[in-house]
Amino acid sequence: MAMKKRRYALVIDSRKCINCKACVVACKAENGVAVGNFRDWINEDRQGEYPKLRMDFEPEQCHHCESPSCVRVCPTGASWQRKDGIVLVNYDECIGCRYCMIACPYDARYFVEETGVVDKCTLCSHRVDRGDVPACVETCPSKVRIFGDLEDPASRIHELLATRRYRVKEPQTGNGPQLYYLL
Amino acid sequence: MHELNWGLLIVVYLFLGGLSAGLFFAAGLANYLEVDGQPAYPRIARMGALLAPWPVAIGSALLILDLGNMLRFYKLFTHFRWESPMSIGTYLLTVFTLIAFVYAFSWLPEDWRRSLFGKVPATWKLVHRLNVDISAHRKTIAMVGFPFSIGVGIYTGVLLGAVSARPFWNTNLVAQMFLFSALSSGAAALLLAMVLNKREPIETHETKFLITLDIVFIVLELFIILPYLIHGTLSVLAVKQALWLILGGPYTLVFWVFFMGLGLLVPLAIEVYELAPSLLKGKPFHGDRNLALAATSLVLFGGFLLRYIFVYAGQASSFHKMGLLH
Ligand code: SF4
Ligand code: SF4
Repeated sequence: MAMKKRRYALVIDSRKCINCKACVVACKAENGVAVGNFRDWINEDRQGEYPKLRMDFEPEQCHHCESPSCVRVCPTGASWQRKDGIVLVNYDECIGCRYCMIACPYDARYFVEETGVVDKCTLCSHRVDRGDVPACVETCPSKVRIFGDLEDPASRIHELLATRRYRVKEPQTGNGPQLYYLL
Repeated sequence: MHELNWGLLIVVYLFLGGLSAGLFFAAGLANYLEVDGQPAYPRIARMGALLAPWPVAIGSALLILDLGNMLRFYKLFTHFRWESPMSIGTYLLTVFTLIAFVYAFSWLPEDWRRSLFGKVPATWKLVHRLNVDISAHRKTIAMVGFPFSIGVGIYTGVLLGAVSARPFWNTNLVAQMFLFSALSSGAAALLLAMVLNKREPIETHETKFLITLDIVFIVLELFIILPYLIHGTLSVLAVKQALWLILGGPYTLVFWVFFMGLGLLVPLAIEVYELAPSLLKGKPFHGDRNLALAATSLVLFGGFLLRYIFVYAGQASSFHKMGLLH
């Protein structure tokens, strides 16, 4: 049976985000991320003064870019991209040169001192491969995060991106980021 | 979120790699120049050849020390990734270092070579087979090495310039800037070494040659830095913001006063002051020892600062902070 082509992505409805950081905690618990490091985080943007005040919360993590510059610069091939778009680090091949961290326009990677290698969001590939959604998606109480396969016309994210307006962050980086923020 | 991933070790590595490239280039060039069928600058050629391999060898060792997983550095050689400047650079640097060592060997005085091999146990036959006189091939080795030395000089810039995520680096000028800075550092280091070598005092025609060479490289470097600044300020917002780091931001003082001033224009002025009378008015060239010492040290200081500013300011630049660089 021929394998179906997949392209995983996240749609983020950031207007619903209440900055509870449940996703950040869920990620840390699921992936055993050490204190001080984060695979996902919430950007806060405050404008104006009370009572004319606007506060925006915007979850961010690795964008699992279409043409990931982190993968391009890696001298050993430790940073690599799966056919379904997920960008991963092969921890056995990583020499810890941190070139990928410098080359990521979204600062989505971190260095783990203890092991001397670089790490990042895996889009919970271990969960995705058994048919679950990433931990951050499962946890989010206000349903900000929608995970799915862009190649599947029946998926919810396919429908959202076809019918709603959205943006991606800094498209001028040329990386083709795959976190879609609904407007 | 964003912190510095590359620090001083990388700065030193880029500087030393460029320095070796410059030393090799100047030494190789000196080897080719002749007056009346006689080599014009044999002592410069020898000094440069003997010095060239060491900085890059030390620099590469420092780079390995900087890895998160030092013992895995061999993996750099078990992969070849043509899209990664670091991968290409690893091979380039290795080949260059080998050539530089072979070239240095070809310049070893007969007695040095004999005493060197005298330390090797007589039973190590394989090693003793290397005890051959290859001085006749100096020109060939230099010719093979030239493109690699230029390549290494360019590579130290491309390593940064190829990173599209950092607007401070991502222009096609950084490679040339680093190359000319490397060549200038090499010429200056060579002059410094010759001046400091009291056993065989430097002669004025040698000083004149190296000063002339350095002036040419500094001027070329200036012709790259100016367009870099002009182009950047006329560019898109991300590049403009990145350039703010040296045009009002935290690296302004070190860029303008210490690099541009002390590291580039002052030594250029000293060298022009030395050379101009003999060049324009036909007066004899003096070659003041102290002025040469001052100019060359400043050039090396400037070359180091250029790498420092680029490595640090470049990492601070990003598309991320649109509108809120602080
Ligand atoms: S966001 Fe950064 S780490 Fe993630 S794929 Fe893109 S370049 Fe790589
Ligand atoms: S730190 Fe590891 S994953 Fe990143 S570029 Fe270097 S070898 Fe590749």
